[in-house]
Amino acid sequence: MIEVKNAVMRFDDRNALDGVTLTIPEGCAYGLLGSNGAGKSTLMRALAGIYRLSSGEVLIDGQPVYDNARLKERVFFINDETVQFNGMTLTEMKQYYKSFYSSFSEELWEKLYSTLKLPLKKRLSTFSKGMKRQAAVICGIACRTPYLFLDEAFDGLDPTMRIIVKQMLIDAMMDAKLTVIFSSHNLGEIDEFCDRVGLLHAGKVVFDRELDSVKGSVFKIQTSFEQPVTKEQLESDGVDILHVEENGSVLHIIARGDREKIRAAVEKHSPKLYDEIPLSLEEIFIYEMEGLGYDSSKLG
Amino acid sequence: MLNIRLEGKLPIYEQLYNGIARLISSGEMKPDERLPAVREVAKQFGINPNTVQKSYAQLEQAGLIYSIPAKGSYVSPEDSAAGALKQEALRRTEQEMECALRAGISRAEIEALTEKIWGRNGDDI
Repeated sequence: MIEVKNAVMRFDDRNALDGVTLTIPEGCAYGLLGSNGAGKSTLMRALAGIYRLSSGEVLIDGQPVYDNARLKERVFFINDETVQFNGMTLTEMKQYYKSFYSSFSEELWEKLYSTLKLPLKKRLSTFSKGMKRQAAVICGIACRTPYLFLDEAFDGLDPTMRIIVKQMLIDAMMDAKLTVIFSSHNLGEIDEFCDRVGLLHAGKVVFDRELDSVKGSVFKIQTSFEQPVTKEQLESDGVDILHVEENGSVLHIIARGDREKIRAAVEKHSPKLYDEIPLSLEEIFIYEMEGLGYDSSKLG
Repeated sequence: MLNIRLEGKLPIYEQLYNGIARLISSGEMKPDERLPAVREVAKQFGINPNTVQKSYAQLEQAGLIYSIPAKGSYVSPEDSAAGALKQEALRRTEQEMECALRAGISRAEIEALTEKIWGRNGDDI
């Protein structure tokens, strides 16, 4: 289990993390979302024990991660920086990880490697971004750590490779109860894969929820009434309205809550039209952010 | 491999549930036929195995499938799945009727249609 308690990470005059509190259970696939500069990479680095927090705590299995050599063996962090391996070949990179992680499986590495077509004897500096990422991913999975953090991990991978990596992760989740955290600014990439998602904005957790409870929790309703019905009237009937737009006589309402209750409240006013449209996760996030007073156009 | 497609905006476990329920109600999957393992389904769609587990648990709760520990999940015999299949069919009928309502189809037209379909199958069941 991962516990982040009121984590603050201060750089000069800016808090990259501004009081983050999160719990990620064992075996969870967690999606960490947010725009560039939201604090995702900083949080990942703090989780991997690379950064020492200005204040607050990061605990993995109840132990602080910073400068904790025993815990580092249980965590693998895949990020954009593979610079330190530039002078090495893939075989040398493998040897490096093998010497560091006692749980490294040569057999698994070979199996993963056989699904790819990477040169073994060329220096990593000659690899493309995607190839470097693939190299890091197969090493990371072969290390068989109970925790795997992928910072923007799918970005350098082509669609076929993404499927292969997902399949590798599924095996690791089923065989070894892997806890995996993905960070991404592209929700679509991790949507189907995560149990839980957290949204970071300006160093704060805007929300942290089960994915299933997010989807199907916000609806777009198109409705139209004989007599004008105001937003306030609907709200007083218990509809939690995030957004309303009038388009001629048709109202487009974004409402949160139980679908049947919303429907019953609207039907009290005998609508001429009632149509309910489920929203994509992306749309839900945008409206939720608006509801919290963030301008979604600035979220990138 | 499950012959279904996951798409749309419903939670994935619901999409998977609906897809499998449809395969069973259409007869494409037969009683006592074995469902693909959780791992296989997760890999087929690139989704979280916990999600597949959740759909299977709900299908089992609805009586559409049964599981044998350490062996797998199987389509329920017709009589034990009957209630769940009926509910599934009712749910879909309701959705279609709402569509019809929105398209401006009248009650009389629906009644005529009911008459036609039930009439074709003998009489009221």
